[in-house]
Amino acid sequence: MELPFVFLISYLILSCFAASCHGVTFSSLQKTLIVSASSPLGHDLKAGKDELTIKWEFNQTFPPGTDSSYKTVKLKLCYAPESQKDRPWRKTVDNLKKDKTCQHLIVARPYNPSNNSFTWTVERDIPSAKFFVRVYAYDGQEVAVGYGQNTDHSKTVGLFSVHAITGRHASIDVASACFSLFSVGSLAGFFYLERRKGKVSEYK
Amino acid sequence: MEISHNSDYNDRKFALPVDSEHKATEFRLFSIATPHMRAFHLSWISFFSCFVSTFAAPPLLPIIRDNLNLTATDIGNAGIAAVSGAVFARVAMGTACDLFGPRLASSSLILLTAPAVYLSAIANSPATFLMVRFFTGFSLATFVSTQFWMSSMFSPNVVGTANGLSGGWGNLGGGATQLIMPLVYSLIQTNIGSTKFTAWRIAFFIPAFFQTLGAYGIFFLGQDMPDGNYVRLEKAGEKHKDNFSQVFYHAITNYRGWILALTYGYCFGVELTIDNIIAQYFYDRFDVNLHTAGIIAASFGLANLFSRPGGGMLSDLMAKRFGMRGRLWTLWVVQMIGGLLCFLLGKIGSLNGSVVVMLVFSVFVQAACGLTFGVVPFVSRRSLGVISGMTGGGGNVGAVLTQVIFFRGSRYSTEEGISLMGVMIMCCTLVILFIYFPQWGGLFCGPRKGVTEEDYYLSEWTAAEKEQGFHKMSLKFSENSRRERGKKGASVPILSEKETPSTVVKLYFALFSSSMFGEES
Repeated sequence: MELPFVFLISYLILSCFAASCHGVTFSSLQKTLIVSASSPLGHDLKAGKDELTIKWEFNQTFPPGTDSSYKTVKLKLCYAPESQKDRPWRKTVDNLKKDKTCQHLIVARPYNPSNNSFTWTVERDIPSAKFFVRVYAYDGQEVAVGYGQNTDHSKTVGLFSVHAITGRHASIDVASACFSLFSVGSLAGFFYLERRKGKVSEYK
Repeated sequence: MEISHNSDYNDRKFALPVDSEHKATEFRLFSIATPHMRAFHLSWISFFSCFVSTFAAPPLLPIIRDNLNLTATDIGNAGIAAVSGAVFARVAMGTACDLFGPRLASSSLILLTAPAVYLSAIANSPATFLMVRFFTGFSLATFVSTQFWMSSMFSPNVVGTANGLSGGWGNLGGGATQLIMPLVYSLIQTNIGSTKFTAWRIAFFIPAFFQTLGAYGIFFLGQDMPDGNYVRLEKAGEKHKDNFSQVFYHAITNYRGWILALTYGYCFGVELTIDNIIAQYFYDRFDVNLHTAGIIAASFGLANLFSRPGGGMLSDLMAKRFGMRGRLWTLWVVQMIGGLLCFLLGKIGSLNGSVVVMLVFSVFVQAACGLTFGVVPFVSRRSLGVISGMTGGGGNVGAVLTQVIFFRGSRYSTEEGISLMGVMIMCCTLVILFIYFPQWGGLFCGPRKGVTEEDYYLSEWTAAEKEQGFHKMSLKFSENSRRERGKKGASVPILSEKETPSTVVKLYFALFSSSMFGEES
């Protein structure tokens, strides 16, 4: 009676481990896509304002049929090594499930071997950092099967610098200053009231 | 003894039963009667808001670190800065309480640190981030005024409970903020439609505003002592305005204050350190998502709801039966177990096991904090504030030390750091063995025969001061603290004539050597 129950539980637990054991690694992927990214303003972009045009296509030097399983592509903005230093939350890890290099999704598209282009306005929540563009190709089961990026293996060329918004507004600055002054002013008021109370009780 | 000027003072009716100092001998949680219970509620709520402000940044760090371009080093330094400001602020606060009263002292500090929280909204670099966390951290010194106020309002038999509840429910803010800030942030994002980098800034106005409200509440609704505020009592001659250098001297020459400062660093300090690193630990080691890591981190702080008050109540319970020796023994045992659990936490490799050990560890380490402040009110009557401040400051020193030694750079992995911290807790807790009260005893030695509570507390006043009647409060306190003898010590006290301040220290050395041959109770 209990044995099947035990088997069921162990099967469920093991299957959880099995799934994570079979996470796709980056090193297993082939660089089958050619990706290029450009901006009329060069390599310095402002978040929320400037645009990036990304082009990608299948690399014909690979045997035909390599891309037969490709169904969708996802374009991602990825951190360059310079912006990953001393920031473990952007670490590059081979297991794609745990990899934190590419945290910003630009767009997802159905796969086409050629003639792909997308113009993207750098979003306002992109932080100040150096980036490159990577395109992942996925099969029907949403498993990564190929990639391409607009930089080389060492990720040092073709990088874009994004300058983030500060998030500050004049209204916040003013409110901050006013409330702070109000706090300190209240304190002065308290001391004055306290002094007066003391004088009053002296006369009692 | 002088008769007070206003005879109706002594006929004054209080909502709760009181002792000769008009301190409440009962603790009624759901009452807000002036002055005792109202003081309790005002103090824990404002202390809670200070904790929320100080630890408001960690849950929002994933957004702040991108906005301000912070590195892991910047974040670590800001975390240390947040707890290091309070080291000296707590001692200063203790002194301010002794001299000006907890009402003015705490409302002043809260209003002076509220600007740091408001200005967090306009931080724009790692340096400004560090500065706002540093100055906001000063508000944690309200802990001292909370404990001082409770010790002024509640009689020795319930002081552990009052201190434990107010301290614990204040510390709760450190856990609650992990849930409050992300909620406020997402409300702002959805309702006002701000971008991420603006929403977190606006979110900081909420804790800042509540902090300000807390200060107003304390100033207008609270009073320093059961009989009134310091300023009025002093002008009416009821209370003598004490001398700063004397107060300070009696605090720093009392070795017990230093011992408790050290041990508090290894219960409360450890609690602060864990508040800063635990979410990251679960996120990195066990690969939970940030949201889950935040909830786990919050539950560590939320245990304060019952664990620290539990420590305080346990202290009072043990004192009923075993007196001060019971309080000391319980503190030692509970903190040692806390250290052992901390050591284990770093060794466990499974997520569920770690969460369980962490929760049990949180109960023990927070109970130890409550137990510590069951002993602190008795170390000194004249310099209660400074002693409370020293102990509180010692807590923050422990937080700084443990973070700098174990959780900075890559010398130790986080789990190694946690285990080593557990070992350090156990080693530093051993010094409790050296605490000895001549009138009540210590861990291994009984009280010295013939030494009374009056001998101990009145030794803090000089003959000249006694002549002017400045020591009245200490006299009353001595009477009320007779309970710390436990069920055994029922003999009638003999008032002795020892008066010099350093007698306490000399007495200790004499007793320590003679207790080897002396009687054990």
